[in-house]
Amino acid sequence: MAQNSGNPVMPGGGPTGPAPVAGVPPAGGPYLAARDIVFAYGRGTPVLNGLVMEVWRGRLVNILGPNGSGKTTLLRVLVGLLRPSAGEIRLAGLRLGDYPRAALARRVAYVPQDTHSVLGFTVLETVLMGRSPHTGALGFETSGDWLAAREALRMTDTEPFAERGLDELSGGERQRVVIARALAQTPELILLDEPTAFLDIKHQHAIYGLLRRLVRERGMTVVCVSHDLNLAAAYGDDLILLDAGRVASAGNPAQVLRPEILSPVYDTPVEVRTDETTGRPYVLPRPPAR
Amino acid sequence: MRVRPFTSRGYLVSVLVGLGAWGVVAAVAVGIGGRLWAWDSAAQMRDALNLRLEAVLTASVVGAALALAGLAFQALLRNPLAEPYILGVSGGAGLGFILSYLFLSIFWAPLLGFAGALATVAIVYTVAQRRGRIEPYTLLLSGVILNAFYGAAIMLLTALVSPAKRGDIAVWMMGNIGAFGPQWELVGVVGAMAVGAAALFAVLAKGFNLVAVGEDAAGAMGVSVGRLRIVTFAAASLITGASVALSGPIGFVGLICPHLLRMVLGPDHRRLVPAALFFGAAFLVLADLAACLWEGAGNRALPVGVLTAMCGGPFFIYLLRTRWRRTAEIQ
Amino acid sequence: MRLKVLHLVLVALLAAAFAAGCTDAAPSVPPGAEGKPLRILSLTPNVTEILFAMGLGDRVVGRSNYCTYPPEVSSVPAVGDTLQLNLQEVIRLQPTVAFLITRRSEVPRRLEGLGIRTVPLESDRMGQMLEAIRTIGLETGRADAALALLARLQADLEAVRGRVAGLPRAKVLFAFPMTVGSARIMVAGRGTFVDDLLGVAGAENAYPEAADWPSIGPQQVVALAPQVVIINATGEDAPPDRARAIRRAWDSLPSVPAVAAGRVHVLTEAYLTIPGPRIGQAARLLAETIHPELRREPRP
Repeated sequence: MAQNSGNPVMPGGGPTGPAPVAGVPPAGGPYLAARDIVFAYGRGTPVLNGLVMEVWRGRLVNILGPNGSGKTTLLRVLVGLLRPSAGEIRLAGLRLGDYPRAALARRVAYVPQDTHSVLGFTVLETVLMGRSPHTGALGFETSGDWLAAREALRMTDTEPFAERGLDELSGGERQRVVIARALAQTPELILLDEPTAFLDIKHQHAIYGLLRRLVRERGMTVVCVSHDLNLAAAYGDDLILLDAGRVASAGNPAQVLRPEILSPVYDTPVEVRTDETTGRPYVLPRPPAR
Repeated sequence: MRVRPFTSRGYLVSVLVGLGAWGVVAAVAVGIGGRLWAWDSAAQMRDALNLRLEAVLTASVVGAALALAGLAFQALLRNPLAEPYILGVSGGAGLGFILSYLFLSIFWAPLLGFAGALATVAIVYTVAQRRGRIEPYTLLLSGVILNAFYGAAIMLLTALVSPAKRGDIAVWMMGNIGAFGPQWELVGVVGAMAVGAAALFAVLAKGFNLVAVGEDAAGAMGVSVGRLRIVTFAAASLITGASVALSGPIGFVGLICPHLLRMVLGPDHRRLVPAALFFGAAFLVLADLAACLWEGAGNRALPVGVLTAMCGGPFFIYLLRTRWRRTAEIQ
Repeated sequence: MRLKVLHLVLVALLAAAFAAGCTDAAPSVPPGAEGKPLRILSLTPNVTEILFAMGLGDRVVGRSNYCTYPPEVSSVPAVGDTLQLNLQEVIRLQPTVAFLITRRSEVPRRLEGLGIRTVPLESDRMGQMLEAIRTIGLETGRADAALALLARLQADLEAVRGRVAGLPRAKVLFAFPMTVGSARIMVAGRGTFVDDLLGVAGAENAYPEAADWPSIGPQQVVALAPQVVIINATGEDAPPDRARAIRRAWDSLPSVPAVAAGRVHVLTEAYLTIPGPRIGQAARLLAETIHPELRREPRP
């Protein structure tokens, strides 16, 4: 992985200082806070049902939960793509709705699950699109935009295929490019939806390693919806466990990953052990008693 | 193809180059088409010049409007096979025009044609929208339904009127540049609309790029996808309706031009929008010149719409084959 | 034995078919000449006019939808036109002879198949039209009425020829109003009946070719440079605002001598293009339009 070669010129958002010590929340209130969020698609049962959560600056937060617990919906609500019918979300103290769209996009980046390119953009063009919140009405690019894009490519190790079409890449490479696009936005906060869903072990760890580096070295805040409990446990600073649209448990991995918490949420018996090398917990499912 | 920075200076240069290229094409078309060298008297040359000038300007504004609308619809519907008439706007304009021609007055026909286009926009929006938002899929379906309806209505009218009028309607439906008698005001209006649409789409171009890569990502990057869709749909439909009211439904310009431009300039809409304005204009001017020369060589007159349609078929085949090979996903 | 019966049956069937075919064959002798009651079906407007002018109006039992002159013809049932014929109605009217002008051969065949003597006529040129009058006279047994009509028409035409005799022949373009969506206008070529009328009216057709009704664009009009332009605006084109629009369209070509001299005339009379008994009026109107000095003379 390329070394971080110092702060590049970044118009707009930037690193907010050194990462805090894990386990000690900094003063000044949560960076991202959601209170009593209720959201339903159409007139069905609410997917998010009075959800309350907090994310502190400079942390890698994983959102976990069984299928249908509302993880992706929560992420889309946090980005501002969906408007909840009740409750409010505050970013750095201000209500999400009070931010102008472009200003919000300069601070918050969103990486959805696997995108397809229809019309044949190259990797570099895709990453440059991440500069959209910073370029003007007609989209003119400055040298600063190109520097940020190049830096993003370097950080995600996607420079070798900068000129290739997005469709020509493998799933893992494409995912890194989409993350690079988010990085090109030079955000303070990145929200990712299952970024390693279809990747093999090597790439899963590469992505999470990158995310942790972003938090440690750049001071970014990363909120990541995860499917994989163990990956989340290995890399996450904080875990938030969702169950049926509410937060069932929140805290560091050791606090959240306990059998008495996980088994009722996932409706299956589990065993939690500790990895001697890293000191982090890992979860083993046990066959259900039938 | 190497990616180059998209700068304001580069933009200005390409706009000027585009304008110049169109200017050259237009001047050549006026001169050759009018055979300006062959007239005996200055008065006759002036008349021929006037006639050619009006034809070339008409072709320019219609070509520009159709190319821009085609580009916008392809971005809006996320479908490279989309073209301006796909949502039924040409049918609505055609019906309005024909109804006016048959029952009211030929004088009001362009206006009623445009009104028909407006009505179609409203109907398609009403039918396709869900909670104030429009989705590409439902837009396409509504367009198919409306096209079928308008086709049937026009057929009905054609069957009911006298054979002479039937011939007139058939000729109009082929798409023609020019009328006997000046149409400067109409040409001016359509031209202003095309330029306005180009300016609008230039501002929306960033959004088109983002939406092409992913709707959620686009929304998170500050693009109001719902509003983008509605504004694009309305603007593209209006310039389509205006051009149909002016010259009848000329097909395939809106399909071919964006694709040709994409082959040269790539998929970036920021570059494609100004290019579509000038290239679409030049394209139809050349088609009109070809029709003019064909006629001058002693053959029967060829409506421009027939010429573009004949190019459209082979082009469609080429498009399908290249798309098939690249297996690009269409969402 | 069985084979013989089969043979007999076959022969009987064939004979019956022949007999049926024979009874349906159209008579080869004109019915009027035999003294049978004359029931005329006329499927073309100018033929209807000729029939009425010959005094055969009361014999017309069926007409086409487009036959509207003279006004008395509106009481005669309409049976469609040569494109779409209401055969049931035709059969009901029991015509004995049908006159029509058409290029579609299946229509006469259809009518003949119904047992109606069908006489196709032609009237593209003046000579053909006059010949058609003669033919109608023969078919209906009214040769004398035909000759009388012919004499009257020839006298009308001669009168017009006489009035324009010494006057300079103007270059005249006879055109129809422009149509939607096309920059072309339909004009009378040298091989048309209107061209013959122009000749009578002391004019030369500005369109030099022997085509029938070509469509030309404005550039060609400029090249033809007619001295007088006559636009025949009938039907929906007749209202004054339409005439204004037509004139405004022509004003955009100031290099055309007719436009420069204000000699673009919009005439709304429909009979100008109907080869029938009103050609005298048509020739007179054309002559007075093309040579305005004639209007100041007392009418002969």
